[in-house]
Amino acid sequence: MTVSTNTAPLQFSSKYTAMWRGALAISPLSIAVIPWGILAGSFAIEVGLSPLESQAMSAIVFAGAAQLVALGMIKTGIGIVGILLTTLLITSRHFLYSMALRRDISPLPTRWRLLLGFLLTDELFAIVATDNSQRHKFDRWYALGAGLSFYLSWNLATLLGVLAGKNIPNIEQWGLDFAIAATFIALIVPLIKNKSILISVLVSLVSSVSCVLLNIEAGLLISALLGMTCGTLHEKLKGERA
Amino acid sequence: MIWLIIVGMASLVFVSRYAFLEPKLPLKLSHNTQRFLSYAAPAVLTAIFAPIVLVRENSLAITFDNNYLIGAIIACLLAYFTRNTLLTALVSMGVFFFIL
Repeated sequence: MTVSTNTAPLQFSSKYTAMWRGALAISPLSIAVIPWGILAGSFAIEVGLSPLESQAMSAIVFAGAAQLVALGMIKTGIGIVGILLTTLLITSRHFLYSMALRRDISPLPTRWRLLLGFLLTDELFAIVATDNSQRHKFDRWYALGAGLSFYLSWNLATLLGVLAGKNIPNIEQWGLDFAIAATFIALIVPLIKNKSILISVLVSLVSSVSCVLLNIEAGLLISALLGMTCGTLHEKLKGERA
Repeated sequence: MIWLIIVGMASLVFVSRYAFLEPKLPLKLSHNTQRFLSYAAPAVLTAIFAPIVLVRENSLAITFDNNYLIGAIIACLLAYFTRNTLLTALVSMGVFFFIL
């Protein structure tokens, strides 16, 4: 089996430029995630974890939604099996991300795959997957810069939450989640280059909103898959090329 | 127990993130599958942001006193006309926080 080598020339002048550009690209998201990181830290302390355990959750698990839900379950006394099953449900969308990035990442050396895999959050996927379609070339240093800076932001925010504890009131109501919406919209709109993509976006939109209103747990994954299916079907029907 | 939970969760999360990145996984992505996956980014990102904007206080909020919706519409317009990610994000956030 031959291993394909990624011999595409770097579009950036150096790997440091690429890393910096990646960190810059993900920066609105790194900032938007700060209140959630603080919440992850302070909630962990409130639930009874030690500072070390609280930080370890963010450093080792590195999955905001899963962490917060798990902490809620620990608080209400739900056992480890329930927590792990719920985690599996929440994390299932990551399978989609790694499948979508397989073409770009699986040819890389093992240490790159493991590292980028570890750093593969919703936000990193957002930056890398949308950058791909603009430039048509995957840059590992760009991805690394984005991933590491986001990891740093999440963990520093958690540390802040661990230390400051209950002193920051209702931080999640400050509307910083709009930053996520704004950044994602900024990323999505340029992607809509034809009707098929527009259809996938609209279907995903209606579905995800419906799932949240109906309290359907795996709404994100269901909606994404539905949107992808409708987009692909339309493309097939119309013989379109994206 | 907490450490068991942390390690257990981390394993599940890492496996889901890494699984399909492993080249030794005997998975060949057909052309159709690649086409299907190319819709992943717009579909997933939409599924994430749409509830944030359209569902406030556990109910549908398609009215003009939903600041998130107005901010989102502004972001859409900016994105459409400028095609500049950073500009769109920052300006619409600025409008949201300082004006709305």
